[in-house]
Amino acid sequence: MGTMAFGRSGASTAGWTRRRARFAGTAHWLLVPALAFTLALVVFPFGYTFWLSLNDYQFGHSARFNFGENYAALLHDAVFWQGLGTTFFLYFLSLALQLVLGTYVGLLLNRRLYGQTLARTILMSPFMMPSVVIGMMWLVILDPSLGAANYILGLLGLPPSQWLASPGLVVPVIALIDTWQWTPFVALIIVGGLQALPIEPFEAAFIDGATRWQAFRYVTLPMLRPTLLTAAILRSVDLLRFFDIIYITTQGGPGNASTTLNIYAYRRGFEFFDIGYASAIMIALMALVAIVVLALMRLRRSL
Amino acid sequence: MSLGPFTRERSQLGIYVQYAVVCLFILAPILWMVEASFKAPTAVTAYPPHLLFSPTLENYATLFETTPFGQYALNSLIVAGGSTLLGLLLGVPAAFAVSYEAITWPATLTLAARMAPGTLFLLPWYILFTALGLVGSHTVLVITHTVITMPLILWVMLPYFDGLPRDILEAARIDGCSPFHMFWRIAVPLVKPGIVVATILAFVFSWNYFLFALVLSGFDSKTLIVAAFNFVGEGATNWGALMAAAVLIALPPLALSLLVQRWLVSGLTAGAVKG
Repeated sequence: MGTMAFGRSGASTAGWTRRRARFAGTAHWLLVPALAFTLALVVFPFGYTFWLSLNDYQFGHSARFNFGENYAALLHDAVFWQGLGTTFFLYFLSLALQLVLGTYVGLLLNRRLYGQTLARTILMSPFMMPSVVIGMMWLVILDPSLGAANYILGLLGLPPSQWLASPGLVVPVIALIDTWQWTPFVALIIVGGLQALPIEPFEAAFIDGATRWQAFRYVTLPMLRPTLLTAAILRSVDLLRFFDIIYITTQGGPGNASTTLNIYAYRRGFEFFDIGYASAIMIALMALVAIVVLALMRLRRSL
Repeated sequence: MSLGPFTRERSQLGIYVQYAVVCLFILAPILWMVEASFKAPTAVTAYPPHLLFSPTLENYATLFETTPFGQYALNSLIVAGGSTLLGLLLGVPAAFAVSYEAITWPATLTLAARMAPGTLFLLPWYILFTALGLVGSHTVLVITHTVITMPLILWVMLPYFDGLPRDILEAARIDGCSPFHMFWRIAVPLVKPGIVVATILAFVFSWNYFLFALVLSGFDSKTLIVAAFNFVGEGATNWGALMAAAVLIALPPLALSLLVQRWLVSGLTAGAVKG
């Protein structure tokens, strides 16, 4: 990098002085590389995808502008609506489980106990592991014929399950896998929130004779709302565009049972090379994520 | 609250039991995977599963004999290392500028990039990089993974730059210090701890990332993550080797996260908290 010359002390050439005069008082230009990169790799592709979504374009054929036909076709596409339903089912189920369990684990972690560091180390392992590893691990554990999960069900006197191979169960099972992976993350966010709360309202509540539950319900929970919303925003972004674990374990199957919008868009684009239509699904998904996240951010600001 | 010493002790015990149950739930699948990776091939698929067995390194040996595992690991290292380096070169100066000039929109822009579904960029990238003849190269993976690392680094660095005493920077500016000099000679040495955290987090995120390499990697640039995904498709029969691969792939990110454990949550929530 030629800019390294800036750091050398004692340089007093004419070029050096000129450059210094030009840039004095502004650090804006330090943004230029990052912005140029973002423009080329994010903004331009986003616009390009939007343009593609207005075209009938199969890979290898030439593109034909068809205005909003792809979007109109979405409205009559049963797989799209099913995908939207699957996306929302997975989203609400996982988010509810993770917020409730995360609050519970967060409250546990907030106590002064021995072994905190160890517990935190254990808690961060699931969400720092690659999704591919999580997928492989659960594929083996949930294998319908030889997996450990069915063995445990047998020990409990329950009939074996098809788990990820069952059209009816696959989405809840994926929600459980995601809950296993991300509840600890939510819990750690919530501990952070709990530790920032003032002590006085609790003292007042206990002096007034509140039970533990009442103190939690009427003091902790309302004060924790911004933290819960922060966790919800972060999880919403990931859950609405859910891809990795599904693609690794089921590729959207059995049938289309676990085909979320993101999986559907990917398959239309990269398995069927139906690029215009896939782009329309992606734009719709992007709009969905943006609407949910902006609504949650607004809600948090209004608290 | 007048909880007698006995009740107090018992409730403490109850808390420890709940603690243990939570940790067990999280650890059990991971331990199962590690255990399976050390089982002999016949023992892995034994039903009912064996809890006691004589550990063997057979699966790890198989993995290295039957697949170019070392090559995949090297690819992952190049891609994660390269995208972390590029992310630092772009993201750290940008974070300084955003903090010093108090302009938020560039940071918001990169955050939007982090929130968009990755598939959204993939089609244009695929078309573009195919035209450039870059699909399948390490370069394309380093560049695209930087879309993940750069915003992460920028947002992790922001609070560190915001925490710098303004006086020092102003004094330097009045003395005629150029913005780059101010950034490189004064700010960067003071935020070294932040750079370490950002570097480690970026490396882990890039190492773990699946989608971009799934589409854009080629025979010579396949990362461990994509190779592992292919193992699943090819032969779910050899569970032992599969689990051995899973363990080896998970080790670097887990070991690195231990180093930055204290800053992990603030790093991962960076951006979402300020809104």
